[in-house]
Amino acid sequence: MKGNERDKEIEGQRDRVAQHPIPALDPSIPRSLDPFPEAGSPRTAIELSGLSFGYGQRLLFDGFNLDVAAGEFLGVIGPNGAGKSTLLKLMAGLLRPGRGSVRILERELGLIGRAEAARTIGVVLQENPFAFDYTVADVVMMGRNPHLGTFQSPGRHDRQVVTGALKFVDALFLRDERINAISAGERQRVVLARALAQEPQILLLDEATSHLDIAHQQMIAGILVELNRQGRTIVLLSHDLNLAALYCSRILLLDKGRAAACDVPERVITGELIRSVYGVEPIVMRHPETGRPQVLMPTLNSRP
Amino acid sequence: MRSERGVGVPVHGNARVVPSWVGLVLLFVSAAALSVAVGPGGFTGTRLSAVMDLRLLRLALGIIAGGVLGVVGASLQGLLQNPLADPFTMGVASGAALGASLTVVLGRSAGAFAPLGGFAGALATMLVVYALARVRGRVTVTGLVLAGVIMSFLFSSLVMLAMILGRRTLGEAVYMMMGHLGAVFTGTTVWLFGVVAVLSVAGCGWLFSLSRSLDVMSSGEEAAETLGVDTQRVTKLVFVVSSLLVGMVVSFTGAISFIGLVVPHLVRMLFGPAHRNVLPGSFLAGAGVLLLSDVLARNIVPGGLPLSIVTALVGVPFFIYLLRSRL
Repeated sequence: MKGNERDKEIEGQRDRVAQHPIPALDPSIPRSLDPFPEAGSPRTAIELSGLSFGYGQRLLFDGFNLDVAAGEFLGVIGPNGAGKSTLLKLMAGLLRPGRGSVRILERELGLIGRAEAARTIGVVLQENPFAFDYTVADVVMMGRNPHLGTFQSPGRHDRQVVTGALKFVDALFLRDERINAISAGERQRVVLARALAQEPQILLLDEATSHLDIAHQQMIAGILVELNRQGRTIVLLSHDLNLAALYCSRILLLDKGRAAACDVPERVITGELIRSVYGVEPIVMRHPETGRPQVLMPTLNSRP
Repeated sequence: MRSERGVGVPVHGNARVVPSWVGLVLLFVSAAALSVAVGPGGFTGTRLSAVMDLRLLRLALGIIAGGVLGVVGASLQGLLQNPLADPFTMGVASGAALGASLTVVLGRSAGAFAPLGGFAGALATMLVVYALARVRGRVTVTGLVLAGVIMSFLFSSLVMLAMILGRRTLGEAVYMMMGHLGAVFTGTTVWLFGVVAVLSVAGCGWLFSLSRSLDVMSSGEEAAETLGVDTQRVTKLVFVVSSLLVGMVVSFTGAISFIGLVVPHLVRMLFGPAHRNVLPGSFLAGAGVLLLSDVLARNIVPGGLPLSIVTALVGVPFFIYLLRSRL
């Protein structure tokens, strides 16, 4: 394929993904879950500049820069230890950078109060242990915490948001179940619903699909695509290159704290980049429906 | 069968909330009535009013002590996400007993400062045990219990040492280490107890105001931070307020075992884990269970028993059950 044809195809990518059918979602979702950006709202959702961070003596990130536009669906991929989870924790304010700044919706994250940050950024972490057996409804109601004052009880609006969030992830039927008694796929949806109950404009997800079967993976992906279509900014960390390639509008490939590439899937999921970062010889194909790149695992005797 | 609830109806996850409250209040009232009605002095006679004065003070002390131990146990279990946390297993009660003994021994007029000494001992122990039990940012269940047991041994010995060096009776030392509600009140200490009672109720109210934060923290510190909870602030507050409460109470009653461990679990079985129910429920149930234990302790043997003998007989089997089933 010639260079400019290839570019044209890449440009047309977003349109085609928009046409790609996604699972139907309940249309009765309350409008409060619909954060279409207002006129004059910030155009950059997340801005990392000159970011340095390390554990102990060794710097993992050294002068790292990244801009995530409002409304973007960014995938972050990379080998184990590349710094994906650390990057997410820096974006969420769970870790403070040694140097450099993290700006959320054009405001310095360190200067935003914890509750306000939690109304802006929803986070789905990799592990979600629950020490006590709360009901699913109680767990999702925890997402309302940043909206409530110390002595304020959840009101009618909060319960509506919780119901709406549970409907959105198709888990309303679980609301009276105990959180430690439901399956991994159900639990992942409940934790996602808890993040939605925060009504965040930005959603950060760490391996949200990694323990799930193919149906649940597709379901979560459909929910994320729909949330993104509504205007939310989504950052998805994943080991699943194919999932990231199918649904993300841009992919950041991390390698030992450096951005090996950050571009549309066609320019990131390539044989050369995968080989140089992961050290495997992948077979890259096109998805028959969308034309997006998909990676097949090589057999053992074709190791480089 | 699942009943269909309309949108907007509060879901507490447990339809037994109201009957559970009724049951707890009944337990509390009957324990209080028993505590007042039953005792070595009987319920008749010419000296009834003097006996009743003693019993009412005992009742008040029992309510405050049991309530505080229940609420503090529930708060610590929630905060540390640890089913075995409690003022006694963490060694905090023994630390408070040591602090209180030292103030008592150091000067007879220093008795009024015993609650402060208890607070200092409790807070110091809390910090040491927490530091020992925290491995890579997580307080492990076994680490906490091990550190707590070790500190308990140390402090019990030191209480004994302080009491002997201070020429106190062995009985006083035993009561300090194993708890009792028979505090001898004088004019000053009644007044002091009044202040402690008010502070205790206020402190429990303060912990109650952290209910939702404690709920959120049960899904881990990082998740709680992303949900808007300042986990460091909550941790510090719970530690300081708990130490204050336990320190003050122990300076009057000595170290009472297992109330703070068993009661919150029983209350969670009734209400589910939400702290808005568990904390006030633990106050009522803690007071009720402590008063019942006290009724047993002073009536089965002439002269009475230290409270921890009774609470341990109930608490240890429960502790073993938790250790076997929940970990």
